[in-house]
Amino acid sequence: MFKGLPLLLLLISLTVQAEPWPDEDWPVGPRITTVSDLETYAFPPRDDTTRHGIRTDALLIIRDGQIVYERYAGPTTEQTPHLTWSISKSLMATVLGVAYGEGLFKLDDPALKFYPALERHPAITLANLLNWASGLDWQEDYEYAPLKSSVVAMLYTRGHRDMAAFTAEHDRYAAPGQAFRYSSGDSNLLATALKTMVGPQRYFDYPWTALFEPLGIRHAVWETDGSGTFVASSYAYLTARDLARVGLLMARGGRWNDRQLLPKDWVAFSLKPFEAYKAHQDEAVPGGHWWLNRPAESAISPWPDAPPDTFAALGHWGQALYVIPSEKLVIVRYGDDRDGSYKHNELLKRVLQAVRP
Amino acid sequence: MKRFLLLLLVVLLGWGVYERENLWAFPDIISAYTAKEYCSCRYVTNNDAGYCRGYVKQWLPTSQFTDDSASKTITVSGMGRSNSAQWLSDRQGCRLIP
Repeated sequence: MFKGLPLLLLLISLTVQAEPWPDEDWPVGPRITTVSDLETYAFPPRDDTTRHGIRTDALLIIRDGQIVYERYAGPTTEQTPHLTWSISKSLMATVLGVAYGEGLFKLDDPALKFYPALERHPAITLANLLNWASGLDWQEDYEYAPLKSSVVAMLYTRGHRDMAAFTAEHDRYAAPGQAFRYSSGDSNLLATALKTMVGPQRYFDYPWTALFEPLGIRHAVWETDGSGTFVASSYAYLTARDLARVGLLMARGGRWNDRQLLPKDWVAFSLKPFEAYKAHQDEAVPGGHWWLNRPAESAISPWPDAPPDTFAALGHWGQALYVIPSEKLVIVRYGDDRDGSYKHNELLKRVLQAVRP
Repeated sequence: MKRFLLLLLVVLLGWGVYERENLWAFPDIISAYTAKEYCSCRYVTNNDAGYCRGYVKQWLPTSQFTDDSASKTITVSGMGRSNSAQWLSDRQGCRLIP
């Protein structure tokens, strides 16, 4: 019986080594070589005067836990903590997943339990907020409707001192959980709920102790509003290599090395399509603060050239973290796109062509 | 014609009252946006000053711009309003003050 044990241990250690993980740095795998179609699309000549067209700052491709492609442009380097904009929302969901694993809340808990200022909206649950389905009458437009934009008012004028309080003052347009409406306010309500869940002492360091440090992320920045609440909607900054660590965590079902950092049912909720979403309401199908490449109703998938298990965290001006578990792919794309010319499907198509020669 | 202009005035006034909060806050957008996003571009992302001035450029002009690099405080004026942002710490980055 004991004779077989060393062999078993050897086999286990071989299996562990066969699954590469980033340590202090990312392991480097065999570089992909057929990249000209990909680079023609992602890195056209950059126009800093008109700011037209696709303006990629960083493109990093991780396959099976190893870097297979990496390129930077503009002022961005591998050391740059780039603004992620709304990728921050998915990062907050991941931080909340750790708190969920600590047993600090349940998905159907009313948000009011953790944020008394929601007294006018007692039926909103944490799951509703994660699905962007609070039913609050929020206007997300950035540049095109500045007068009516809730998000511009939240970030720069009436809301910046306390973004959750600003959100909670909104009226209701639908019953919670019944309709999808993308809302940065919902994300910041989650950020303030976390303060009560973990307590004000732990809150200040919680994204670092819960998520960044276990993943080996050393240089994350997360800006706060005037009341000290993390701006979960918009203001986390990470290097491309560090953001890819979060992608790898999600690609591997919430596990980091041998530690199940996110409970499996949390990951399942994160990647479950929100059932009240109607086709074409947004650029992809919402899950629990992540974007899914699933067909909604009878419509085709949002990114038809990518596998159906593709999911993403997406941000303003072209920020994206794509995860394709079936292809063992994690892709970080940072940009400074000031028009709508960049298309997720086109980039994913060309990445998939490059990694499948 | 006179009645029409009067009606238009009433409608406009009504809209102004209805949207008073949004209208009052509106002129702050450009200076607050420029101060906050420049601060983060310069002191969080560590890009150079020239790049960051281009990065925050919008179609509305700003009239005054100061970056006090000792206190890492940016003050911007535009549309008759002034706003400031300040870098706080390595982890917290920048935020609008007060």
